[in-house]
Amino acid sequence: MSNSPFTSVLAALTRQRGVRASLVVDENDGIVVDSNLQIGQDGDRVAALAASLYRKARLSARAAQLGTATFMQLEAERGRICAAGRNDLVLVVVADPAANIGMIRVEMIKAAGGLP
Amino acid sequence: MSLVNYATREITCKIVYYGPGRSGKTTNLHYIYGQVPEDRKGKMVSLATQTDRTLFFDFLPLDLGTISGFTTKFQLYTVPGQVYYQTTRKLVLQGADGVVFVADSQARQLEENIESFQDLHANLAEQGIDARAVPLVIQYNKQDLPRDLILTPAELNDALNFRGVPEFGADALHGPGVFETLRSISELVLKRLSQPVK
Amino acid sequence: MSITAVEPWVEIPLRKFVEEARTVLGLLLHPSGQVVAQFGFARAVDVMSACALAAAIHASAGELGKQLEGKPFRGLHHPGRDRQLYLAEAATPRGTFIFLTVFDQESSLGLVRLYFDEFCKSLAAAAPPAPRRVEPVIEERFEQELNRNLAALFGRG
Repeated sequence: MSNSPFTSVLAALTRQRGVRASLVVDENDGIVVDSNLQIGQDGDRVAALAASLYRKARLSARAAQLGTATFMQLEAERGRICAAGRNDLVLVVVADPAANIGMIRVEMIKAAGGLP
Repeated sequence: MSLVNYATREITCKIVYYGPGRSGKTTNLHYIYGQVPEDRKGKMVSLATQTDRTLFFDFLPLDLGTISGFTTKFQLYTVPGQVYYQTTRKLVLQGADGVVFVADSQARQLEENIESFQDLHANLAEQGIDARAVPLVIQYNKQDLPRDLILTPAELNDALNFRGVPEFGADALHGPGVFETLRSISELVLKRLSQPVK
Repeated sequence: MSITAVEPWVEIPLRKFVEEARTVLGLLLHPSGQVVAQFGFARAVDVMSACALAAAIHASAGELGKQLEGKPFRGLHHPGRDRQLYLAEAATPRGTFIFLTVFDQESSLGLVRLYFDEFCKSLAAAAPPAPRRVEPVIEERFEQELNRNLAALFGRG
């Protein structure tokens, strides 16, 4: 894991119980800016798809005149993907089904607010 | 090797116009472009400097119509002739099915013609290609200039055409010789497709 | 989205790429500049021009890489105002191809790269062995047709 402005934010998120991976992704390109992953995880794949999803969610919220999207959650059989963004950056977290999603959500929204 | 699609019955061949700087390679393509109807040609791509010297290549796609039931398309390229564009010349030459060597008939350009001809053979050899196996036609351009400034096709043949390939005098700016050159290289390239593969 | 393929075996992998990556234009070509498949283009002759340019870009980038760090560059990305371009090599048992695609805001570089990797794998898996042709492609006496077509092309018919 490289030392970047996002290292401590990602480390704090990954310390949350049930969080398997955390990433900062460029929303426009879908490219990883920084990540905190377990060995064997494909961060690039998650980044590209999650950024695309978040972007669509953000545009949907705007189209529905609901204001700025603050948090997105995708629930699947074996876990969740959560995303919160600011400007062109998106925080993405991959978590277990049993993870404390409420706490993760609070931490992500706080962290996203600190993104440049 | 020419690209042949048996399913769609299409043949595509790449012809490269090679030669020293300002010999008339681009002029050949411009003349061809000017003669061919709109529906039989694509856009001519010219990657050139601000002074209209070829920087990378000129490209002209031509639809030659149906030959033996195959729609036949030719891609005509030129290379930059100036010496310091050696690297880009090599890149453009890759995959060529036939070469037209455009020589400048001016007597003072003889050295440049010879160097460029040697450069062609060296680049083919570098790609692992036997130059004798590549269809080649030589065009002696600028035959319209005053007699005291140019060499005759016979004199140029002595200097360049040691392989005895088809050669044509030309005035690419006004047209004479351009069509004949293209026809000759087309024949040579397509002849390879009319032979059984060994 | 209509796909035109010179080699039929590329069509399924290419269609999957187009559907998943949601790009706008695409070209699969030989490094010499000859088209293998395309989608999104209106005219065949426009495809040929685009192929020539793509082959030139690829050849230049490869050569530049060799000269700078000893290894050819393999992928290229050009961000544009409304559209972006991605160009990369795809290796198959039938040789190396170049793939060029143009995408807009419906996709992203990350998605294009992701699905391009999958496209390369499915292309390599789909490639049949090269056919061994022994018979000639065109008739021995093709010159008459060639001369007639060239004469028509040059208005000498």
